[in-house]
Amino acid sequence: MSTLWTYARSNIERTALIVAALVILMALFGGLLAPFDPLKIDFRSKILPPSPEHWLGTDGSGRDVLSRLLVGAQMTLASTAVVLVVVATFGCAVGIFSALVGGAVDNMLMRLADVWLGFPPLILALGFAAALGASLEAAIWALIFSWWPNYARLTRMVTVDILSRKFIASADALGVGTGAKIFRYILPNAFDVLIVQVTLDISAIMLAISGLSFIGVGAQIPLPEWGAMIADGRSYVANGWWIVLAPGLMIFLTAFSFNIIGDMLRRELDPTSRRR
Amino acid sequence: MTVPLLELRDVTIALRGSNRRMVTGVGLSVSVGEVFGVVGESGSGKTLLTRTVFGLQDDTYLAGGTVSFAGRTLPLDGYMKAARKLLGGEVGFVPQDPYSSLNPTMRVGEQITEALYLAKRMPMNGTATRQAAIDVLGEVGIPEPELAFRQFPDQFSGGMRQRIVFAIALAQDPKLLIADEPTTALDAITQRRVIELMLDRCRTRGMAVILISHNLELLRQSVDRLAVLYGGQLHNIAETAAIGHHTIHPYTEALFDCIPSKGKTLEDIRAIRGEPAGAGFGLKGCAFASRCRYAEPICVESDLPLNSAAQNGFTACLLGRGAPQ
Amino acid sequence: MSAPLVMLQDVAKSFGRRLLVQNRSFTLSGINITVNRGEVVGILGESGSGKSTVANIITRLTSYDAGSYVYDGRDVSGYLKSESFGFKSKVQIVFQDPYGSLNPRVTVADSIGEGIKLHQPQLGKTGREARVRQLLDEVGLPPDCGDRYPREFSGGQRQRIAIARALAVEPELLVCDEPLSSLDVSIQAQVLELFVKLIRERHLTIVFISHDVNVVRLICDRVYVMHEGRIVEEGRAHDVLTHPQNEYTERLLAAVY
Ligand SMILES: Nc1ncnc2c1ncn2[C@@H]1O[C@H](COP(=O)(O)OP(=O)(O)OP(=O)(O)O)[C@@H](O)[C@H]1O
Ligand SMILES: Nc1ncnc2c1ncn2[C@@H]1O[C@H](COP(=O)(O)OP(=O)(O)OP(=O)(O)O)[C@@H](O)[C@H]1O
Ligand code: SF4
Ligand SMILES: [Mg+2]
Ligand SMILES: [Mg+2]
Repeated sequence: MSTLWTYARSNIERTALIVAALVILMALFGGLLAPFDPLKIDFRSKILPPSPEHWLGTDGSGRDVLSRLLVGAQMTLASTAVVLVVVATFGCAVGIFSALVGGAVDNMLMRLADVWLGFPPLILALGFAAALGASLEAAIWALIFSWWPNYARLTRMVTVDILSRKFIASADALGVGTGAKIFRYILPNAFDVLIVQVTLDISAIMLAISGLSFIGVGAQIPLPEWGAMIADGRSYVANGWWIVLAPGLMIFLTAFSFNIIGDMLRRELDPTSRRR
Repeated sequence: MTVPLLELRDVTIALRGSNRRMVTGVGLSVSVGEVFGVVGESGSGKTLLTRTVFGLQDDTYLAGGTVSFAGRTLPLDGYMKAARKLLGGEVGFVPQDPYSSLNPTMRVGEQITEALYLAKRMPMNGTATRQAAIDVLGEVGIPEPELAFRQFPDQFSGGMRQRIVFAIALAQDPKLLIADEPTTALDAITQRRVIELMLDRCRTRGMAVILISHNLELLRQSVDRLAVLYGGQLHNIAETAAIGHHTIHPYTEALFDCIPSKGKTLEDIRAIRGEPAGAGFGLKGCAFASRCRYAEPICVESDLPLNSAAQNGFTACLLGRGAPQ
Repeated sequence: MSAPLVMLQDVAKSFGRRLLVQNRSFTLSGINITVNRGEVVGILGESGSGKSTVANIITRLTSYDAGSYVYDGRDVSGYLKSESFGFKSKVQIVFQDPYGSLNPRVTVADSIGEGIKLHQPQLGKTGREARVRQLLDEVGLPPDCGDRYPREFSGGQRQRIAIARALAVEPELLVCDEPLSSLDVSIQAQVLELFVKLIRERHLTIVFISHDVNVVRLICDRVYVMHEGRIVEEGRAHDVLTHPQNEYTERLLAAVY
């Protein structure tokens, strides 16, 4: 954490780090801080503007927007994390396997990844929604399905590069086994590139999850997922701008921050942008 | 006393931005038609010095001292522009890497005629220009120069490419040719051929050459006089004939002693302990003191003497070792 | 006299042309190399002559297409899996580029200790650490620098670390593929001194690959001169390098500064 702070070179980057940290804290403890039940409908207090009682007002069904935002942070970020962990793990495994085996298998796997990437995630999501019913799970599955080839290709590329370095030949000369090679040589040296990609993808996947929820394929309306909250608030924009603005701003700030952090990490860690 | 072709007096080169002084207080002069060497280990500042002096380095600037070319002192204001004006006419450059210094999409002939146009205003498509280009290709030892004129750079080997780069410089008939490690990317056999050819052609044309290399033995056999850089400081300017025979500057001596050249036995080779100091040491003390076997406390405490008069023989050694007789 | 350690007979290997990297194919052929125990054998040749390919064949990092390779009396093509593993503690290699040949993510002590862990597990942690300190000392580095990472060392120091890593498994044969070429002039002499010391003290058998005629002349007993994938001349280093019989060797020697 403190290393991250030392990487920051501008106030924008420092702000991004603070925002990201706050959002993560929100996701971890937001549920405890929520002043109201995020699902409790109370039509008597609907579309209340921000006030000392409801800091961010209430939505069309009288639910407290701040509480929904806090609880929703967990929902949005946890889904993003699930997608990324699964996708990165699986993609890395495929990529490293492909690079290590090489030859025809490598070629085939990479062709497969190319073709797979050509498949629009939105169509996939609609398919999953049709099969599983429109839900957050459907959106998560759709993203996992469409995203792994990115990691497979990236990891494969990085691994091929690492394998061509002389320290691998030196490991071969010593008789280092495949497992040790993966865990002591390949993964540690691929880590920097992967962590940059993961950070940049946090915002992309978060936007995708919220986007899918917004168009009704992902999380469904009473759930406080940020994208779903915007979808729900659409009809009240005229007399309840805060209902849309609060989650919209959160999505924007979070995505923006992680993007800036990703770029910062790329600058600081990416071996191609460093001397030697 | 004739006017030297190139004269540097107390030239100091600093990085833009940090203003760190990388090369400090270099004074030397190269006379018309002289073959001059610059030797130094990697990072000693050889490239930084020459590229900045001729306005080719964007991220450094001339922070002090004066540079005169053919008797004319270049202004400190707008130095880079003034220095660049010398290129492509009065001063030619042969860089280290023959692979990236030619335009791969342009025919060899065009690259030479363009150089002729830029330096001498010869029409790009004239027959005389074409003939001049073919002649210069022949002069640098390219077989079938007419054919080569129409070919692209990647149809040539590294050694031939470096000859083409040299031909481009030669075509402009400069007064001074700067070759910065022109052969490190080449084989031993090719290297010697290219160096010998280059020096031979320059000598016959009366062109002065500054040959930069980390290989003291190569320079010792190729040039008349050389400057020794270490840690961004100028330590020694010596006649190459003296190296290995007379008392010379301790660093020059140490550098000579660690090269396993012909006729040396294992016992003759003496490594310099420690790590080389990179450019940017400054002028306080001798950069070589931590590795010098003659070093005394004065070597760390005193400022290094400068060759302010740009004399032909010079030693910066604070103990006076290697002073010209 | 015991059987030679390395016997390559008529070994050949060819590479197809590699797209974008090079437009010529390369063939190594008729390679006959013998290395006796205790000898320092030089392989001299210019860039692209096939020296590294030979080094990789001797260390079994690369396969060959034809011919035979007998190591210490046994043809390596008949090796069982355990023999293949054992071979790796007998033959070690040091590469040219000290920046690329160490895993940047592993401490120096772990890098040096890796081979001991694999091939001498009986030593245990304390035994291994003691060996690593002793090796660091032997190659001229402070014995307590083991917990640092390669990036904290200069090129010459990294080459010393790479040498220590290779020596850690107590190899019979050390193959050095241009170990001095990418070092600074003054550092080359330091590392050369280290090799001389190792040759004298350890009685190592060494295959020393270089394009530097003078270095080969100084430390090798015998030399093979390679040109375009073939061995054009062989013999006692002193003889070959003072009275070359081959026209190419002659040209090479004439070009040396
Ligand atoms: N723009 C820059 N910013 C910071 N440091 C620089 C810059 N340019 C060069 N240097 C440093 O200045 C030192 C001198 O570099 P220079 O290229 O002049 O050395 P050199 O003597 O030509 O060495 P070589 O034999 O490796 O070509 C090096 O340590 C280099 O890292
Ligand atoms: N894996 C490979 N695939 C295709 N060609 C290769 C491969 N490895 C080496 N070559 C080619 O084989 C030739 C000989 O290479 P090698 O590395 O053995 O030469 P070398 O004598 O060690 O040269 P250097 O001094 O440059 O290290 C070169 O032309 C090289 O491009
Ligand atoms: S000044 Fe001192 S340290 Fe420097 S070269 Fe002379 S004797 Fe050696
Ligand atoms: Mg340079
Ligand atoms: Mg090689």
